[in-house]
Amino acid sequence: MVSALVMLSVVLAAAWVVWLSRDIDARIGGARGVGAGALALLALWLGLVVGYAPIEQVQGVVQKIFYVHIPAIIPTYLGFLLTAVGGVGYLRTRRESWDQLAVSGAEVGVVFCTLMLVVGPIWAKPVWGHWWVWDLRLTSTLVLWFIYVAYLFLRGLAFGSDAAKTFTSVYGIVGTAAIPFVYFAVDLAQGSTMHPSNPAREGLPPAMGQTVGAGMIAFMAVFAWLIARRMELAALEARSLEAQAKGGA
Amino acid sequence: MNGLAVTRAVFAKDLLLDFRTRDRLGHMAVFALLVVSLLSIVVPASPTERLAWSPALLWVVLLFTSLLGLARSFQSETEGGALALLVQAPVDRGWVFLGKAGANALALIGVELWTGILFTVFLDVDWTHAWREALCAGLLGALGLASLGTLLSAMSVAVRFREFLLPVLLFPLVLPVLVLASSITGAALAERPVPTLWWGVFALYDWVFLSLGYLVFDYVLED
Repeated sequence: MVSALVMLSVVLAAAWVVWLSRDIDARIGGARGVGAGALALLALWLGLVVGYAPIEQVQGVVQKIFYVHIPAIIPTYLGFLLTAVGGVGYLRTRRESWDQLAVSGAEVGVVFCTLMLVVGPIWAKPVWGHWWVWDLRLTSTLVLWFIYVAYLFLRGLAFGSDAAKTFTSVYGIVGTAAIPFVYFAVDLAQGSTMHPSNPAREGLPPAMGQTVGAGMIAFMAVFAWLIARRMELAALEARSLEAQAKGGA
Repeated sequence: MNGLAVTRAVFAKDLLLDFRTRDRLGHMAVFALLVVSLLSIVVPASPTERLAWSPALLWVVLLFTSLLGLARSFQSETEGGALALLVQAPVDRGWVFLGKAGANALALIGVELWTGILFTVFLDVDWTHAWREALCAGLLGALGLASLGTLLSAMSVAVRFREFLLPVLLFPLVLPVLVLASSITGAALAERPVPTLWWGVFALYDWVFLSLGYLVFDYVLED
């Protein structure tokens, strides 16, 4: 039941942001409703984390970091997927909207990826005894973060030119193609993983599983809202550059 | 004019430029010499430790050295306004990419051979039983580095802070080259068999990024 709801929220969020990107000016009005919904879901999730999910017997209260860490995974990957999709779309059609979707996906994806990388070590120190372990998922997530931070650097340094959009589209596509190889390479270099195989599903008491699920749905709503606002900003940026170009001519 | 002719012409032009000016190869050779001699001072002297460290160090040195050559690859095109003319080649610009990537790969192979010799001289690495695997890893590694490096060099040359941008763009994406090449070199030096899967993934990586570079280069040069 919880898994089905999470799946539904992912599909809805992805479909909504792609639909929104087709005509951001006309459709952005709905973002306010999604923002309010996201806030309500976050409040519900926080309530479940504090009051409903039991305190884990071995790890203690620090285990509650899971409820932030695990839900951040899907928005990270979905953001990067949107970057690749937007990149291909932009190179094929040269429509601004695809580029706006791509850059929004990368930025919001990096935000969630950073969250995941920051809270992970805070949990790992008391439980594993180390802030950082060169483990498969940890290391590949770090490399993934580097790839998309490089994307944002490229975007920032080439800002304002048409080349910026083309270059970042190309880098978004090349970066996505590298992800499976990065996984393989890190696995080869580091050996086995310390991460639990699928902590959201296996062996979790129902109250914990439901809290993780609520977190995933709430984060998905926040993700969709952030993407919407970022695309709106990108559209405004484009208009402002256009006005400057006209003024200068 | 067909595509292959353009690839050949660009490839031959870059090689000729490397031979006549010797800038690029010379700078890479001196840089590698400097770094390897520094390493020979700081790396522990015991033979077992050197054997364990050498493959990874070798490939890190090669990665940094290749950066010098890759960065120059498109700077030379912009200096004389040659890029604007190159763009006008009446074929898909993917062919131009293949020519440049080929010339870069060949330059990197030269640097790899040189660095391999330096590792023998300064760090006592014995290639007697490992040279075949190391050579194959070198070929695949050069091709992988050159494919991505050529593509990203073409992009970063048009952007501010390109000295900073190229490694930031390149390093996370070439991590698989670094890991695969140093794992293969390490296994060969320790006289362990190299799993077929490693070769397969390495070849696949090269093929994916060479093809991607060919496909997207048209867009990169357009702007």
